[in-house]
Amino acid sequence: MAKDDVEKQAKYLAAENKKNDPDIGKVYWFPDETEVRLVEVHSNVPVSPDGEIEPFYFRSDPIHDLPVPSGIALIRPEEVRRVRLPAKWGNWDLAKEIG
Amino acid sequence: MNWREAFLRQARSENSVRNRLNDPQIEYSHRLHYLQMDTEKLAKGYRAPPNDYDHSPQVHTGFVRFLQTLKGNISIRGILRYGPGPGFNLFIDSLLDLATKIEQLAPSAAGLTKPNPEYPLRDIGTGEIRAPVDYDFPGFSPRELSMIRMEALIRQLLPIQN
Repeated sequence: MAKDDVEKQAKYLAAENKKNDPDIGKVYWFPDETEVRLVEVHSNVPVSPDGEIEPFYFRSDPIHDLPVPSGIALIRPEEVRRVRLPAKWGNWDLAKEIG
Repeated sequence: MNWREAFLRQARSENSVRNRLNDPQIEYSHRLHYLQMDTEKLAKGYRAPPNDYDHSPQVHTGFVRFLQTLKGNISIRGILRYGPGPGFNLFIDSLLDLATKIEQLAPSAAGLTKPNPEYPLRDIGTGEIRAPVDYDFPGFSPRELSMIRMEALIRQLLPIQN
């Protein structure tokens, strides 16, 4: 899967999630060529335990225009750039704000 | 079997046991115990990346956050036969308070003073030591609308092959 396609899905998911949950503010995308990796800033979620995020992962769903798997984490605004990311996601410097 | 498959298999089995406990002769706390464990395994299953054989999810609480994540999930919204309108989000929102209470049933979250369905505790009001099987667990009545909705959601989520 080309990186452009993953980015397209990332933006689609970010837009859908913001549309469906007004408590979501900024959305950060961590680029990867095999899956969509999103951190969504939410004003009403519990604090991340142990200062570390563990995203929820969902399989691809081509029928709904989601050709690659996705990993999505919700964090509180004060946790941006403070909580640790999954090792495979890299670090916060790789984050691109897409929503 | 990878971690994701294993957690979801366990969740399905625990749900099956929970259904078998739906008997007036069996103390209700046992069903709540399985409900708490079942929802924890369900959320943990989705915390494991598909095809990951290396890392078991470590976070024990996560059911509330899992439901919040579902609100934007187009695939699951479709599987549960909700359209693009606000219905699915309203449905999930209506369950978040109960999901929080279910998470807090875990002994590690309940601590020594809040009721949990597994270990005896001292009642703050009376000072009496009580076994969970003798506790009423108000707010978790199977006849409450939120519990009926939660049961419906779990029943629909568990069979999804992810």
